[in-house]
Amino acid sequence: MLVDLPGGWSPLLGRLAWSQIPYANPILAPLFVAVVIGAIIILGLITYYGKWTYLWKEWLTTVDHKKLGVMYIIIGLVMLFRGFIDGLMIRTQQVWAVGPHSSGVFGSLHGYLTPFHFGQVYSAHGLIMILLAATPLLVGFMNIIVPIQVGARDMAYPYLNALGLWITAAAAALIMISLFVGDFAHNGWFEYAPIFEMQYSPGVGVDYWMWTLQLLALGTTLGGINILATIIKMRAPGMTWGKLPIFVWASLASNVIALTSFPALQVALALVAADRYLGAHFFTAGMGGNLMLYTNLFWIWGHPEVYFVILPAFGMMSEIFPTFSEKPLFGYMTMVLASMAIAGVSWLVWLHHFFTMGAGPYVNTAFSVATMLVGIPTGVKVFNWAFTMYRGRLTFNAAMLWAIGALFLLLVGGLTGMMLAIPAINYMVHNSVFVVAHFHSMLLVIVYAVFGSVLYWFPKVFGFKLDEFWAKTMFWLFSAGTVLVFVPMYMLGFMGMTRRLEYVFNTAWQPYLDVMELGIVVYTLSVLAFIVLLYVSVRDHAKNRVGADAWGTSRSLEWLTHSPVPFYNFAVLPHVNERDELAWRREHGIDHVRPEHYDDIHMPNNTGVAIIIGALTFVLGFALTWRIWWLCIVALLAIIVLMIIRSFRGDPGYIITGAELQRMEEEAYRREAQIADSHHIHPVSGGVVGNAMAYQRNDSSK
Amino acid sequence: MDIKWRNWLKKGWRAAALAPVLLLGGCAHNPFWIFDPKGLMAKTNLFYLIVDVVIMGAIVGLTALLVVWFMWRYQKGKNRGKYDPHWSHSNTIEVFVWGIPIIAVGFLSYFAVKGTFEINPYNPTVITHHMKPNGDPVEVDVIATDWQWLFVYPQYHMAVANELVLPVHTPVFFRLTSSAVTTTFFIPQLVGMIDVMPGMRTKNALLSNHAGEYQGIASDFAGAGTSWMTFETRMVDKADFSQWVQKVQQAPGSMTYASFNRFAEPYINVNHHVVYFSSVEPGLFDHVMTEVMRGKTWPLPPMMTENMVDYLKKQAAEHRD
Ligand code: HEM
Ligand SMILES: [Cu+2]
Ligand SMILES: [Cu+2]
Repeated sequence: MLVDLPGGWSPLLGRLAWSQIPYANPILAPLFVAVVIGAIIILGLITYYGKWTYLWKEWLTTVDHKKLGVMYIIIGLVMLFRGFIDGLMIRTQQVWAVGPHSSGVFGSLHGYLTPFHFGQVYSAHGLIMILLAATPLLVGFMNIIVPIQVGARDMAYPYLNALGLWITAAAAALIMISLFVGDFAHNGWFEYAPIFEMQYSPGVGVDYWMWTLQLLALGTTLGGINILATIIKMRAPGMTWGKLPIFVWASLASNVIALTSFPALQVALALVAADRYLGAHFFTAGMGGNLMLYTNLFWIWGHPEVYFVILPAFGMMSEIFPTFSEKPLFGYMTMVLASMAIAGVSWLVWLHHFFTMGAGPYVNTAFSVATMLVGIPTGVKVFNWAFTMYRGRLTFNAAMLWAIGALFLLLVGGLTGMMLAIPAINYMVHNSVFVVAHFHSMLLVIVYAVFGSVLYWFPKVFGFKLDEFWAKTMFWLFSAGTVLVFVPMYMLGFMGMTRRLEYVFNTAWQPYLDVMELGIVVYTLSVLAFIVLLYVSVRDHAKNRVGADAWGTSRSLEWLTHSPVPFYNFAVLPHVNERDELAWRREHGIDHVRPEHYDDIHMPNNTGVAIIIGALTFVLGFALTWRIWWLCIVALLAIIVLMIIRSFRGDPGYIITGAELQRMEEEAYRREAQIADSHHIHPVSGGVVGNAMAYQRNDSSK
Repeated sequence: MDIKWRNWLKKGWRAAALAPVLLLGGCAHNPFWIFDPKGLMAKTNLFYLIVDVVIMGAIVGLTALLVVWFMWRYQKGKNRGKYDPHWSHSNTIEVFVWGIPIIAVGFLSYFAVKGTFEINPYNPTVITHHMKPNGDPVEVDVIATDWQWLFVYPQYHMAVANELVLPVHTPVFFRLTSSAVTTTFFIPQLVGMIDVMPGMRTKNALLSNHAGEYQGIASDFAGAGTSWMTFETRMVDKADFSQWVQKVQQAPGSMTYASFNRFAEPYINVNHHVVYFSSVEPGLFDHVMTEVMRGKTWPLPPMMTENMVDYLKKQAAEHRD
């Protein structure tokens, strides 16, 4: 062994031992029992209803970008819930452990979580919320929407897409299993040097953190490549760059960031691994290591990462506002420019996360000014959304409410971000709950945009709308929670309360912590409202069926095809004439035309390889964490062999014949005709209406 | 009746308008430490905070009002404003949309640069430019351990653990290092944060004219004991300071390289122990820094606070309580 391992190591099990299972922990043990029972019930139900084949064929082996997107979103929502529970636990500890006279249980001096456990909870909370909730939710939406919006039948690389999903799922599984086997990192979601070194974090927590993050980086990079290739190469005929829907532009900017910044993280993590596994000294305090280097490397990725997640959210808002304002987005070109500017500047500002490290005033001012530059395109976006509403015809349905909520949160987060960007202010509030409130305002912009998008695009994916009443109830409860939690948090920041306190030493902060706890209760109610929303909507789904254009005022290409979208997206690829293609067709009365003739189309086959590689990646991550070397080698070899086999076999795909396509399309049209407000659909010959082209002219080429 | 009601309204408005001023005014028990600075450094921070909030707040506030107004005016079915289904571009608006943020950022940049130099921790010009030649600054060497603060007063050859006592009207210059992990030195009402890193030296300074007690905090997470790694900062008159120095210089404890080795072992200071050391081996600060650079560490036991109560018992049994 190159490093001293406290607690022993065996060739067979590595560092794994019975003592690593927290069966005596009063919180984890019951939770474990509950999870096992829940799993048995779910697996039992699947077996009872004989759904295993369906699950395997339709979901687990699928390469359909919409189904993969839905699974991304399900992972995101599940992890959002897990992260929310972590948040609830953090708030409860802090409201309890105030002052020297507060009580303590479960081995802690104050409150119910010891520093060791509290640290794990907030570290997991941060990592999960950013990388396993926000990221999969946004990647999921990009997966579903981007190919349809550019008029493609699938992603550029459908198999790679499945691989990205299952690697993300493996990372989620790895962080979940750290609950019950061993422990998670307890130094914060970004860790720091040298506290993550063996001397200060001898357990497996940091290793779990490191491999989870490494897997997520890999999965996200694969997804990014795919989305970029899809946008660049798979656009429908006629869709020039100037006609690209704004969400696609946002996805493009966002994935350019991902592709260029995640490698920095992967290198940083590899160096951490070298320190912890090989006894290297990249980030140690002594022996020539440089701990500040880690902080730099981490934030060189970390800051672009926050823009990687916010840009798609901006894109979502840019889709929702025009639809419910019934007019085009104001300043399309500026919006595109602003997205690209944000992507560009986001690489130049990382040092604002550690102004207090003591770089000289020249360095600090350079990064301060660069940071404030980001405020310019961000401000432009807000103004453009405002002027999208100007002279519009606004419908305040639930999706629009979430988007407006996101806009206001962005104002708050932008204001506080501009405060943090000035070192002379930052020195006072850095590492305080003020920063926590700032980035929660910003991350809530994402959450709001995502819930808005769930409502907005749900009918497209599933063919029926979600219930308006419960969606609005959830919105107002959630927003009340936001106010109750984050207004006191900003105030506490001005009171000097620092972040990550396991024990709150100042009793003057108690009332504010009380209000925040109340806020968490209200948040919990909104989670319940969400569950009711899903239940009610599924129950009433027959009533809420929609046609292709679910909102009647939609503008972009995805609303041209059926709802739910058929697995081939478009039977005949549409020809794009204008920026807001559907709005333009509606105006010219050709939104209800259909092709006269169907050609054979070529689709990719399902594959079980992706999920198997995903499972093996999980095994690899687990084995690396516990230093079970033989298992690492086995898993790694298996992955490599599978990849080689798969690449030799390739995927010939399969053909859907024109006749079959016609049958499916006609069925879809018949279904749509039964919906009350649907229109009569008439076929066009040659794909041409008047002097506009509605469809790719494939029949004439025959 | 009507007049009375209007009077009430007037009073209410006045109170509302005054509220922020009261908040900043610094009544005795203002819980908003950031708004109630008692030192020159912290005061300067607050000045820039106000400048920024006024400029950005005006823009953000007006934007919010604009959005609300649009929401009200263009609601569907209310027919308050004209609907123009094609309007999506205007060069005039575009100029404002870009111009306003650019001007604001330009303006703020000026303040950002100015402020960064004024409270540059290595040479804070707000302090150094107005220093009297006979100001007799006090020097303090700060060493953070897991999880205590050792304040060495090299001019007086003495040291104090977990309490900082300083004279008013006197510039104080800190040198800071850590024996274990990175943390941050922060006294909200006196001076902003500066990182304290192992094997490295950072600096900071403060100047206060207000005697009183202020909370000092380890504001970056440094492990299990961080929440208790706080220290009382007492600003006292010069006479009281001399008296206090004499008291410390008569304390029994002394701090040598060897005793520092013991002192730096992981220790959670739940009882806020303050220890005086009447003598300090010269060059302790540099010694610690060099040792750490050579690779010396004070490792933590695995899962040390999985059961905090147990750990504290163990700590009490084997330690210096
Ligand atoms: C106007 C644009 C923005 C500015 C000027 C800005 C500025 C800053 C600054 C200066 C910090 C460092 C605070 C500190 O630690 O002392 C910070 C932290 C942070 N910001 Fe922003 N920000 C902006 C937008 C965003 C956006 C869009 C997001 C993403 C959703 C975001 C997420 C974060 C996060 C996650 C952190 C803290 C991470 C941590 O310490 O755990 N910010 N921001
Ligand atoms: Cu959070
Ligand atoms: Cu940042």
